[in-house]
Amino acid sequence: MMQPILELEHISKKFPGVQALTDARFDMRAGEVHALLGENGAGKSTMIKIISGVHKPDTGEIRLDGQRISFNNPREAQAKGIATIYQELSLYPELSVAENIFMGHAPRGMFGAVDWRTMKRRAAEILDSLQITDLDVEAKVGGLTVGKRQRVEIAKALSLNARILIMDEPTAALTEADVQRLFGIVRLLRERNVGIIYISHRLEEVFVLADRVTVLRDGQYVGTDDVKNVTQDKLISMMVGRTIENLFPKLPTEIGKPVLEVRNLWRKPLCRGVSMTLRAGEIVGLAGLVGSGRSEFAQTVFGFTPAQDGEIMVDGKLEKIRNPGEAMSKGIAYVPEDRGTQGLVRQMRIRENVSLAVLRSVSRGGFIDDKQERELSQHAIRQLGIRAFSGEQVVNKLSGGNQQKVVVAKWLASKPKVLIMDEPTRGVDVGAKSEIHRLISELAQQGLAILMISSELPEVLGMSDRVLVMREGRLVAEFERKDATQENVVAAMMRENVEVNVAPSRAAGD
Amino acid sequence: MAVTAPSLGRSPSRITPRFKLGSLLSQEVILALALIVIVLVVGSVNARYVSERNLTSIFLGNAYIAVAAIGMSMVIISGNIDVSVGSLIGVLATLSGTLAVNGVPIWLSWVIPVFAGMLAGAVIGFFVAYLKIPSIVVTLGFLSILKGGLISITNGEWIRDLPAGFGLAQERPFGIPMPIYFMIVLTILAALWQRYSATGRAIYAVGGNKEAARLSGISEPRVLMTVFILNGFFVGIASILFATQLEIIQSAVPAGVELLIITAAVVGGVSILGGTGTVVGATLAAILLSAIGSALVFINVSPFWLRAVQGLLILVTVLADLLRRRRNQASLKG
Amino acid sequence: MTTLPETKVLDDAPSLRDRLGSALFRQEGVLILIGIIALVVLAFGSENFLTVDNLLNQTRFLAEIGLIALPMTYIIITGGIDLSVGAIVGVSAIMLGVSWQNWGLPLELAIVVCILTGVLAGFVNGLFIVRVGVPPLIMTLATLAFYRGLAEGISESRSVRGYPDWFEQLGQGNFLGLPTQLWVLIVFAIVFAIVLARTTFGRSLYAIGNNELGARFSGIPVGRNKIIIYSLSGLMAGIAAWIFVSRTTTTRSDYGSGWELDVIAAVVLGGTSIFGGTGTIIGTMLGIVLIQILKNGLALTGVTSDATIVVIGSVLILSILINNYAGSLFGALTRRLRQTQQNT
Repeated sequence: MMQPILELEHISKKFPGVQALTDARFDMRAGEVHALLGENGAGKSTMIKIISGVHKPDTGEIRLDGQRISFNNPREAQAKGIATIYQELSLYPELSVAENIFMGHAPRGMFGAVDWRTMKRRAAEILDSLQITDLDVEAKVGGLTVGKRQRVEIAKALSLNARILIMDEPTAALTEADVQRLFGIVRLLRERNVGIIYISHRLEEVFVLADRVTVLRDGQYVGTDDVKNVTQDKLISMMVGRTIENLFPKLPTEIGKPVLEVRNLWRKPLCRGVSMTLRAGEIVGLAGLVGSGRSEFAQTVFGFTPAQDGEIMVDGKLEKIRNPGEAMSKGIAYVPEDRGTQGLVRQMRIRENVSLAVLRSVSRGGFIDDKQERELSQHAIRQLGIRAFSGEQVVNKLSGGNQQKVVVAKWLASKPKVLIMDEPTRGVDVGAKSEIHRLISELAQQGLAILMISSELPEVLGMSDRVLVMREGRLVAEFERKDATQENVVAAMMRENVEVNVAPSRAAGD
Repeated sequence: MAVTAPSLGRSPSRITPRFKLGSLLSQEVILALALIVIVLVVGSVNARYVSERNLTSIFLGNAYIAVAAIGMSMVIISGNIDVSVGSLIGVLATLSGTLAVNGVPIWLSWVIPVFAGMLAGAVIGFFVAYLKIPSIVVTLGFLSILKGGLISITNGEWIRDLPAGFGLAQERPFGIPMPIYFMIVLTILAALWQRYSATGRAIYAVGGNKEAARLSGISEPRVLMTVFILNGFFVGIASILFATQLEIIQSAVPAGVELLIITAAVVGGVSILGGTGTVVGATLAAILLSAIGSALVFINVSPFWLRAVQGLLILVTVLADLLRRRRNQASLKG
Repeated sequence: MTTLPETKVLDDAPSLRDRLGSALFRQEGVLILIGIIALVVLAFGSENFLTVDNLLNQTRFLAEIGLIALPMTYIIITGGIDLSVGAIVGVSAIMLGVSWQNWGLPLELAIVVCILTGVLAGFVNGLFIVRVGVPPLIMTLATLAFYRGLAEGISESRSVRGYPDWFEQLGQGNFLGLPTQLWVLIVFAIVFAIVLARTTFGRSLYAIGNNELGARFSGIPVGRNKIIIYSLSGLMAGIAAWIFVSRTTTTRSDYGSGWELDVIAAVVLGGTSIFGGTGTIIGTMLGIVLIQILKNGLALTGVTSDATIVVIGSVLILSILINNYAGSLFGALTRRLRQTQQNT
């Protein structure tokens, strides 16, 4: 077999609060398509960011053509022929295709002037070599479809003589026709001896396209094999089986009557006719891959992106929800996915954050009642065990776990009947995680209906009474607690033809 | 690779024809057409509008605005703004006149202000590029420093008794006023530089997508410094044209000039959000603004409405640009 | 429900000593200090400076700028800016004069027209900023040109004079021993300060400035509140125009030219971050006073009034530099101070 052109060994990388990679490895041969697989948070992104020079590994060794190297930034990696296809990020919408391809390394003519004719010719040559004939090199990138933009990105990478091309979820936003063209281009590149690191959640794509596959799990290397030697079931079993530790055991609850009923909810592009029911005291886990539409569904219910069609009923009453304010007044609260940009105003104090969504309840005639507001924040600090000197502390100074508790406190202050939590334990340490789990469990015990969106399968399986699975904007499977195994859920998340593989799915809310 | 199959109406064909139409109707062409329409319409109402003398004065009237608008285009393309240019023109014009009446060789009294303009541009550029203060705030501050400084030093007195030969803008080689040569030559040079130099292209990159520009190895601070120094250069030239057009120099800042310059740049197709536009458009727009101003007189509209018309024009252009961008984005999401 | 680990919650009400301590290190404290130094220095420079008459007279000049600086503080706190305020003063003043003299409206009604013009102009700014998504800097730069143009067009650059005596009361008269417009400023400043510091509306402005997305997720009507503050900006510009016309007993289309600079300089000098998120009305008022002290003091010591705008420009740039860079220095100092307090 060929010598690998790129080898990574014993790679570890730690971020504050998270060990992203532990002693992981990866290797790449010239002219192969190598799929990198793993669940959300398995460490794939960190791995490719290390390869492309965005992050430096804490330990471990990277070898290119057998020589040890290290990259300080993405440009150094680029110079060594490692290019990444970003989704739209690195294009200039107002400039032409040719110029986008050659920005920063345009061919020069006399007096160092940009040689437009050569630039256009070479751009056209590169596009021709990829059999892309429907792209005008003088067209503005801003007016192109997503698929065409991606082809510009690929051409740009090739203009830098890339030998290794990293494609992270390249098909996520493409139409079927564009996906087929991408596959054609990838095969052409393989023939030209370009190595391609291919990350996709669509398992079927791996089988169509890849030569080898490497699986990561929990930041650790699981294994590498030729695609022809593995089956879908084998891959899924390699991906799942994450360790469940420090989880707070779910408390038994009494499940009451339906509180939230959603019928055929639409909000394009990622919420396509979702129906579900949530009962008092019930914890429902919502699983799915990144980009499967879980957050979009939640934000539609919450009125942040109001529904285009469908019905939302709270306590059996049909409600119109056009903005978050209306959702909260109907008893729906949403703990958003990203606490830094969505959940908190970090420069403000704990007190001010806790009251922000319920300012009306601590004010009279528009004037904030200091005493009430302080009591609210002190209550929150005590109830959730937020470690802080006082409510006057600025949220920025708190640890991730305590910040998350402030977010939860903020939405609990609205006294909701339905609590939607989006990634409630992302980026918090183990101790805080188990405290948040305990809190969720206790809240359910008190009769709150909880919808928990999480990319951590053990969390979903450990906490939920029922598990729903979304894929490409639709609800594709539903499991009772006893049927929800890692294999079943992951299969539903990833496979095209889920219905065949899962336990009979009960229609929601019957 | 079946590409031909129409996939559920999410077709790229919807974009192609609009693009073709768009490239046909570039801002430059629209401006040129608008200019022709105005000249024809107003000329048919009042023939004196199309007299050689009036047409010359239309081209001449805003020539120094056009030159300054070249620099302003680059500033705006880079994602910044400069509201101090009007004050700078006043200061540099006064500097030029003062040098001339004090016996400095005439060519030096033309050249020194240009260098002074570049120096001022470098200072502003430093604040924006390295100290990371928003350009609106820096230039707003400079506006008042320059304006106040000028008046308090000169007490608003006019400079008279300028030496013979100082009136560069009054020269008419081959019967055409000098400022028009400057306007045309500088526009062409700047257009070529923007198109063919690496730095010229980098301005678009910085204004269009900072993150990507960094990945392409473009140093944002260095590009911004270049932009502001060049802007100072063009303002310097503009100030010489302004200073030498009459026998006297009013040691004051011409009112509202910065807005006129910004208007010319924006109406000329420079997107106020940065990342796109050309200097040719800016020059055409400066001429158009001059033609509109002249037209108001010839169709008996009070010239006092000129600024309102200009204001409306910039407002409409900005809105059109924003709506165009938004539509582009919407068409992507399908 | 809670059996979670005990956390000690301190009493949140800050002690007097804490308040004094932090006030000294805050922008307001620094401003007061600079103001006192300036007063002393200028008092030695000119004996006319530190007189009751002079100081009271100065408040007539600062009232107009001060009124506009109030909503500007709100706007800059949300991360926006309004460059059109000076032009709104111009067009409002013109509407007052023209509707009275040319259209023959009663002067009382003309005053209403003046103020409504301001509100409408500000509302248009806010509407386009929120609904179309035009960046505030660009929208208000464009309307700066447009509103000024309207003022010139409507008035044909002719001034209006001959206002009746009662009309001059606001700009030239006294009430309870103080210039009338000073009372107007004081009342509005108190209202604006209370609204910003104590109401849900004020809190929402800070939230928007620090994290607009977070504010939206918290159910705060971000768009509505922004339209309100830009309309307020127009309202106060309209009132300032009324006072200005009353003080000068003339209406001219160039009224308010360049005021945006004075207003923004005062707000930024008062400690409001140009990037949004922080700021107080007290700070802005101190900024206004300090700038007026500098202007007047310099004028009395023989500097021409035109030169004083050099001071404003420098103040604007310097105070942003200080906000940006000395802010971290201050932060380090106060942290050091707090740590020593906790250790003892």
